[in-house]
Amino acid sequence: MSGEPLALTRRTLLAAAPAAGLLGLTPAFAQGTTAAPRVVSLDYGLSSTLLGLGAPPVGITELAGWSEWVVEPAMPSGVAELGISSEPNLEVLAALKPDLILATSWLDAQIPRLERFAPVLRLETFIWTGTPILEAAISATRAVAARIGRAPEAEAFLARMEAVFAEARARLAEREPRAVALVHFWDSRHVRISADPSLFNDVLLRIGVRNAWEASTGPWGFQTLPVEELSRVMDPEALLLVFEPVPQDVFATLDRSPLWRALPLAQPDRIRRLPPVLLFGMVNEATRFARLVVEALEAES
Amino acid sequence: MSGLRVLPAIVILCGIAAASALLWMLIAPGLLAPEVPGYDAARMRLVHSTLPRLATALIAGFALSLAGALLQQVLRNPLASPTTLGVSAGAHLALAGAMLFFPALLGLGRDAVALLGAGLAAALVMALGARRGFSPLTLVLSGLVIGLWCGALAAALVYLNDRRMVSLFIWGAGSLATQSWEAPLALLWKTGLLTLACGFLLRPLTLLELGDEEASALGLKLARTRFLALALAVGLSALVTSAVGVIGFIGLVAPILARLLGARRIPAFLLASGLIGAALLLTTDALLQLIAGIFSDLLPTGAVTAVFGSPLLLLLLPRLKIRREPFALASFAPRRRGDLGPGFALVAAALAGLVVLALFLGRDSGGGWSFDAQMLSLRAPRVFTALAAGAMLAVSGLLLQRLTGNEMASPEVLGVSSGATLGLALGVFLVATPGFAAQLGFAGMGAFAVLAAILISTRRSALAPERVLLVGIALSALVDALVGLMAATGDPRALTILRWMSGSTYGAEAGSAALLCAGALILILPALLARRWLDLLPLGPETASALGIPVRAARLRLFALAGALSAAATLGVGPLSFVGLMAPHLARELGFSRAASQTAGAALIGALLMVAADWIGRTAVFPWQIPAGLVAALTGAPFLILLLFRRGRT
Repeated sequence: MSGEPLALTRRTLLAAAPAAGLLGLTPAFAQGTTAAPRVVSLDYGLSSTLLGLGAPPVGITELAGWSEWVVEPAMPSGVAELGISSEPNLEVLAALKPDLILATSWLDAQIPRLERFAPVLRLETFIWTGTPILEAAISATRAVAARIGRAPEAEAFLARMEAVFAEARARLAEREPRAVALVHFWDSRHVRISADPSLFNDVLLRIGVRNAWEASTGPWGFQTLPVEELSRVMDPEALLLVFEPVPQDVFATLDRSPLWRALPLAQPDRIRRLPPVLLFGMVNEATRFARLVVEALEAES
Repeated sequence: MSGLRVLPAIVILCGIAAASALLWMLIAPGLLAPEVPGYDAARMRLVHSTLPRLATALIAGFALSLAGALLQQVLRNPLASPTTLGVSAGAHLALAGAMLFFPALLGLGRDAVALLGAGLAAALVMALGARRGFSPLTLVLSGLVIGLWCGALAAALVYLNDRRMVSLFIWGAGSLATQSWEAPLALLWKTGLLTLACGFLLRPLTLLELGDEEASALGLKLARTRFLALALAVGLSALVTSAVGVIGFIGLVAPILARLLGARRIPAFLLASGLIGAALLLTTDALLQLIAGIFSDLLPTGAVTAVFGSPLLLLLLPRLKIRREPFALASFAPRRRGDLGPGFALVAAALAGLVVLALFLGRDSGGGWSFDAQMLSLRAPRVFTALAAGAMLAVSGLLLQRLTGNEMASPEVLGVSSGATLGLALGVFLVATPGFAAQLGFAGMGAFAVLAAILISTRRSALAPERVLLVGIALSALVDALVGLMAATGDPRALTILRWMSGSTYGAEAGSAALLCAGALILILPALLARRWLDLLPLGPETASALGIPVRAARLRLFALAGALSAAATLGVGPLSFVGLMAPHLARELGFSRAASQTAGAALIGALLMVAADWIGRTAVFPWQIPAGLVAALTGAPFLILLLFRRGRT
C-alpha cells in the first residue's frame, strides 16, 4: 500500500513532462519580449491556466504552497510571492507594476481597490452559478487567453484536455469502470466529499465514470461528513479515491475503528490514494484529475 | 428541605421525557430498519457510531459538570467552570500547539499535553485570583483573559495554517463524532478514576461549608483540600478536552441548575451536577444529530452547548446570589499630582515618531528594508485606521472601567466587540460582499444589540457592575459560539469572518480611514468633556448622586458612547485586541489618573500600541501579514497578566 502513492506520483510526473515542455516555452515568453503582458494571478486555478497558455504570471498568491497543492506544472522561478490569497500584499503588487490582474469572484470585495494597480479580469471559476463548473472553467480559460492575446494557445490547451478525456474514456470503456467516491480527509473523523456540482464530478461525467456519491452538495461542490456517513454509498463495486495529503495519523486511527474496518467502501482493496489535486481548479486540474482517475482505476487487481 | 419539591420534579420529568423522545428518534432508525444481509449499514452505524457518540456525550457531560461543581464549591464562586476559568482553553491551546509544532508529543500522550495546558492555565488564574482574595469576579475575569489569549493564539495558528488546521478548528469547537467504543471507554475509565477520587473529598468539602475557622478547628487541612479539589477539576476538564475538544458552558450551567433544583448537601450537589450535565450534553447532542441528519451539515456539539448555555445563564442570572464586591476605589483615585505636561509630550512624541516609521519604513519583495515615500498611499490608510481604532478602543475601555467600577472591564470582555463581529458575520452571509458602509452598519447593529441586551437584563439591578460584566461574558460566549458554528460549516465564506476576527487593517482605504479618524475625534471629545462624571461615578452611585450627578442618565449616555466607540474601532481592527483593556492601565501607570488626563493619555497610548502592532504585523513575515489585532492581543495579554500580578501585590 505504502509504495503505491509514490509510484503514481512518479508516473504522473513522467506523463506530464512532455506536456510541460510544450507549454512553458513558447517563443514569446522564452525571449522575454516586451509584447508579453505582465500578469498577476490571485488564484491557483488561474495561475495554472496561465502556465497552460504559456504565459507565466509575474506574481501569484501563496506561491509557497504551490508544489504541495497544485504540484504540476511547476511554477517557473522568478515569480513573486504575494502572500495569503485572501489578502494579496498590495506593496508587492504595486512594485510589480502589472498590466493585468486575474481574480475570481472570491475577491469581489477587493476588486475596486485592485483596479487601481491594473485592470482586473474577474472570472467565475469555482462556485456553481448555474453553469457546470467545467464549462465555466473552459470559458474562463478562453476569456483569459483573449485578454492576453493567446487565443490559439487556449484552443491547443483545451484540445489537450479533450484528448486526455477522450483517451481516458476509451481506455475505461474497455472495462466496465467502477463508480468512485472522491474524498479529502480533514481528520480521522471527517471527510470532504466531492460531488455534483464540482469540477471533479464534471470530469467524471466526461470520462464515463459514475460518482458513487449521488446526492448533490451545495454550490461549492463538496460536503463535509463524518466518515461513518460513507456507509451511504451502497454500490458494492464502488472505489474510494482518497486525495493526498492525508493528515498524519488518520489511517492509523481508522485501522482501529470497527465501523471503518467493516465499512465495505473502506476495504483495503477498494481504497486508492490519489496525489494532490487542487479542489478549486480549472482546466489544468481537470486534466490532471482525469489522468489520475484512469491510473487509479487501471491499477486495480 | 426534605419535602418533595413540586416544581423541580416537574422540570426533571419533562426533561427526561423530552430526552427519551429524542433518543428514541435517534436510535429507532437503526433498531427498526429491516435486517440487511452482509454489511448492515443502519445497524453498524447504530452500534459503532450513534451509541458510542451518545456514551461519549454522557461521560463528557458528567465529567465537565462534576469539574464545574467542584470549582464552584471550592472557590465559593457560582460562576466558576472549566470554560470561565480558562482551563479548557488552556488544554485546547496546548493541544493545538503540540499538533502543529511537536506532533510526536501527541503520540506519546495527548492527555498529558492537555493536562499540562489546563494545569498551567488554572495555576495562572489561581495565582492572579489569590492576590485578590479569590473574589469570584476577579477569578472569572482572570480566567477570561487567559481564555481570550489562548483563543487568540489558537486563532493565529489556524490563520497562518488555514489549509492544514481546519480539522483542528472543527475539533476545537467540540465534536463528539466517533466511530468506535475505544474513545468513550478510554474516557470512561480515566474520568471514572477521578470521579472515585472525588468521593474522598466529600467529607472535607462538607466541612469547608462550615467556614474556614470551624473546618480548621475540626482538623481539616484547608489548603490541601482546596488544592486536591482544584486538581481533580482540572484533570477532569483536561481529559474531556483532550478527547472531544472544548465543550462550552455545560460545566457552568449544570451545577447552577443543580443548585436551583435544590441540591444543597455536597454529595447531592456533586452527583446532581454530574447527572444534569450528562443529560444536558446527551440531549443537546441527540437534538443536534437529528437536525444534522436532516440538513446533513457538520455542527460541532461544543459550540451548540454554548448557544443553548449562554441564554440559559442570562435567564438564571437574576436568581443567582452574587456576593457584592466593594468598588475598587483605590485604583480610580488620583495617585499623584504634578505636572503631566512632560508625560504627554513624551507619549505624543513617541506616537508621532512611530507613525513616521510605520509610514516610511517597510520591506521590498527581495526581503530587504527600505525607507521611502513610494508606498505612502498604501500604508497611510492602514496606519491611520490602526491609530484611530487604538485610540477609540482605549477610550471605550476607560469608560467601561470607570462605569462598572471594575478595572477588568473592556469592550473585549463585555462582548461588545463580539457583538460587532456577529453583526459583520451575518452581513457576510446575508449580503455576499458588503461594502464599507454596510459593514459599519452590520457591526454597529451587533455592538448595540449586545449593549441593549446588557442594559435590559441589568435594568432591575440598576446597572450593577457585577451583572453588567456577567451578562457581557454570557453574550460574548454566545456570539463566539455562533461565529464558531458559522465557521465550522466549512463554508469558505467563514474564512472571511475568521480573517476579519483576527483584526487585520488590510481592508483599510483612504476614505474609511478618514471616517474612522473623524469618528475618533467626534466620539473621544464627549468623553473628555464628561470628566466630572467619570471622576465621580467610580465612587459609587450613592456618593455620585450626593455630589449632584444624575447617575442613571450619566451611566446610560456614557455606556452608549462606549458602545459607539468600540463598534467603530472593532470595524477597524477586529474584536480580538486587548488595547481597550491595556491602554487605560498604562495611562494610569504613567501618572494620568484623573479622568480627563487618563482619557487623553489612554487615547494616545492606545493609538501607539495599535500602530506598533500593525507595523509589526506588516513587516515581520513580509510578504505575508499578521493581523494587527492578533499582534496586539498576543503581545498585550502576557503584559496585562504581569501588570495584574504587580497590582495585586500593592
